[in-house]
Amino acid sequence: METLVSVATDTVLITLVLALAAFGLAIIYGLIGVINMGHGAMLTLGAYFTWWLTRHGVPFAPSVLLSAAAVGAVGLGFEHLIIRYFYNRPFDTLLLTWAFFLVATEVIKITFGTDFRNVARPIEGAIDLGIYRIPAYKTLVGALSILLILGTAFVFYKTRLGIKIRAMVQNREVAGLLGLNVSLMYKLIFSFGSFVAGLAGGLIAPMYSVDPYMGNTFLVRSFFVVIVGGIGQLLAGTLFGSFTIGGLETVLALFSDQVIAQIAVFFIAVVVLRFRPQGVFTGR
Amino acid sequence: MTTEAQPAADARLAHLRAAWIHGENLAALVLFSVLAIVPLLIGGYAIYILPQYMLLGVLAMSLAILWGYAGIVSFGQAAFFAIGAYSIGLVMKYATLPINPAYAGILVGTAGATVAALIIGYFLFSAGVRSTYFVVATLALSIIVEQTVKSFSNITGGWNGLYVDRMTLTLGSLFELSLFDDVPMYYVILIVVVIVYFFTAAIMRSPFGRIVIGVRENEGRMLALGFDVPAYKTLVFGLSGLLAGLAGSFYATHANFAHPSNAGVLFSTQVVIWVAIGGRRSLLGAFAGAILVASLSNYLSSIKAIQNYWPLFQGLIFIAAIILFREGLAGLIDSLLRKLRHGRTAQN
Repeated sequence: METLVSVATDTVLITLVLALAAFGLAIIYGLIGVINMGHGAMLTLGAYFTWWLTRHGVPFAPSVLLSAAAVGAVGLGFEHLIIRYFYNRPFDTLLLTWAFFLVATEVIKITFGTDFRNVARPIEGAIDLGIYRIPAYKTLVGALSILLILGTAFVFYKTRLGIKIRAMVQNREVAGLLGLNVSLMYKLIFSFGSFVAGLAGGLIAPMYSVDPYMGNTFLVRSFFVVIVGGIGQLLAGTLFGSFTIGGLETVLALFSDQVIAQIAVFFIAVVVLRFRPQGVFTGR
Repeated sequence: MTTEAQPAADARLAHLRAAWIHGENLAALVLFSVLAIVPLLIGGYAIYILPQYMLLGVLAMSLAILWGYAGIVSFGQAAFFAIGAYSIGLVMKYATLPINPAYAGILVGTAGATVAALIIGYFLFSAGVRSTYFVVATLALSIIVEQTVKSFSNITGGWNGLYVDRMTLTLGSLFELSLFDDVPMYYVILIVVVIVYFFTAAIMRSPFGRIVIGVRENEGRMLALGFDVPAYKTLVFGLSGLLAGLAGSFYATHANFAHPSNAGVLFSTQVVIWVAIGGRRSLLGAFAGAILVASLSNYLSSIKAIQNYWPLFQGLIFIAAIILFREGLAGLIDSLLRKLRHGRTAQN
C-alpha cells in the first residue's frame, strides 16, 4: 500500500514537472513546426537567471517571472534576427537552434562559471498524507504546471487570439489571406514558447543543481514527451506524453537503477517514434 | 535550340564535376603527402596528436557521407566511435585469443559499430522516419551509449574511462613491431586513413554514391524510379557506422583510453560542427575541417586570454556556416578555383 501510494504520487509529480519542462517545446514545435534544439539551453538560462536574481536579494517568485520574461526576450531576439528567415527550411531551423544551444551554453559558462549552483527552495517541508509525505515545493510546481496548461487551454479555446492561432495552424495560407499577420503570430508563439521554457527552468532550478548542461537531459525527454503525446496535441498530448515517459521512468526505477530506467525509456520512446511517429493516440 | 543546348550544358557540367572530383583526389594526395613528411621535419607533441586528429577526420567523413551525400544528419556519430573504442579496449583487456588481440578488437569494434548502424538504420528508415526525427533518435542513441558505459563501471571503468594498450603490429609469427613509439604509430594510422579515404571516395563516386545523392536531391523521384530508398539510406548509415567505429578503435589504442565522453552528445555535435565548417559535400573538406578545427581548438585552448571564448566563437562560425556558406571551406575553395579558371578563359 505504502509503495503503491508513493509510486502513484511520484508518478503524478514527475508527470507534471516533465509536462512543465516540455511545454515550451510542445508549443513551438506543435504550433509553428520548429524543432527547437535550443529548448534545453532556454531551460538552463531560466535557471541561471533565477539563481542570479535570488542571490541578489530578489524574492523567488518575481525572480522566476523576471527570468522567464528575460528568456522570452532572448527567444524573441533570436527569432527576429535569424529564425524567421528559415521557417520554410525546417532542417536549418533545427541546426540553427542547436547552434543557439552551443552559443547560449558558452555565454552561460563565461558569465556564470561552470560550477554547480543551488537555488534555495522557497518553501520547505512536506505535505503529510498520513502514510506518505510529498515534498511541498514539488507539489507547488505540479500545481503551477496544471495552471499553466489550463491557462494556455483557455487562451487557445476561449479567446480571439486562440481562434487566430488555431486558424493559422489549420491553414497558414488561408489565415494569412484573411488578414492574419502570420509572421507576427510566429514571432509571438516562438517568444511565448521561450518564455515558458524559461519559466520551467526557473521553477525546476531548486529541485536540481544548476549547471550549464542541466537542460540537455530535459531536451531529449521533452522531445519524447512531444512525440509520444502527438505533435500539435498541445494539452492532453503533453500530459499523456509526460505520463508515459515520467511514469515509465518511475516504475522502471523500482526494479533497476535510475540510469538503466532512463536508458530503457529512451529505447521505448525510439520504438514509439518508429511505429507511431504521429503520436500514440492520433490517427494517421 | 534548347533541346540541343541542354545535353551540351549537361556534359560541360559533368566535365566540371569530374574535374573537381579529380582535383579533390589530387588535393587529398597532396595533403596526405604533407602528412607523410611531417614526422621527418618535426617531432614531439605534434607527432603524438596528429594521428588522433586524422582519426577525428575519418569520424567527420562518416558524417559527411550521411549529411552531404544522403541529406541525413546524425547527432549520434560519437556513439559508433565509442562502440569502436570500448570494443577494442574490452577485447584487449579481457579476451585471450590465438590472434593479435588488437586486430580482433579493431575487427569487433568496426563490425559492432557497422551492425549497430545497420540495425538502427533499418529500424528507422524502413518506417520512413523523417530526417528531423532521425536527429532526435540519434541524439538519444548518443545518450544511451554514454549512460551505458558510465553505469557498467565494473567492466568499463565508468567515469574514469577504460585503459587501452597501444597495439602491436604483427604478421603471424614472421614480423612484430611495437607501436609504443609515436612515429611508427603515426605511419600505421596514416596508411589506414589513406586507405579508408580512397575507399570511401571510390564508393561515393560509384553508382551507389550517385543513387545516394539522388535520394538527397529527390527522394520521391528515386522511389518512383524503383530504387529501394530505405535500403540505400540504411546502407549508407551502415558505412557511416563502419567509418566511425574504425576511427574509434584506432583512436582508443592510440590515446590509451576509451572514455564515456567519446560517446557523448557534445562530442557528437562537435562532429557536426567540423563537417559544417569543412564542407559537408566534400569528403576531403570534412576530413581537413576536423583536423583544422581540432588543431585550432587545441592551440587556442592553451592561450589563457581566449580559451574560454573559443567554443563561443566556434558556435558563431557554425551559425555562419549554416546561413552563409553552406558548403563550408571546401565550397569556398571550390568556387574560388572556379572563378580563377573562368577569369583565365575570359582572358583567352
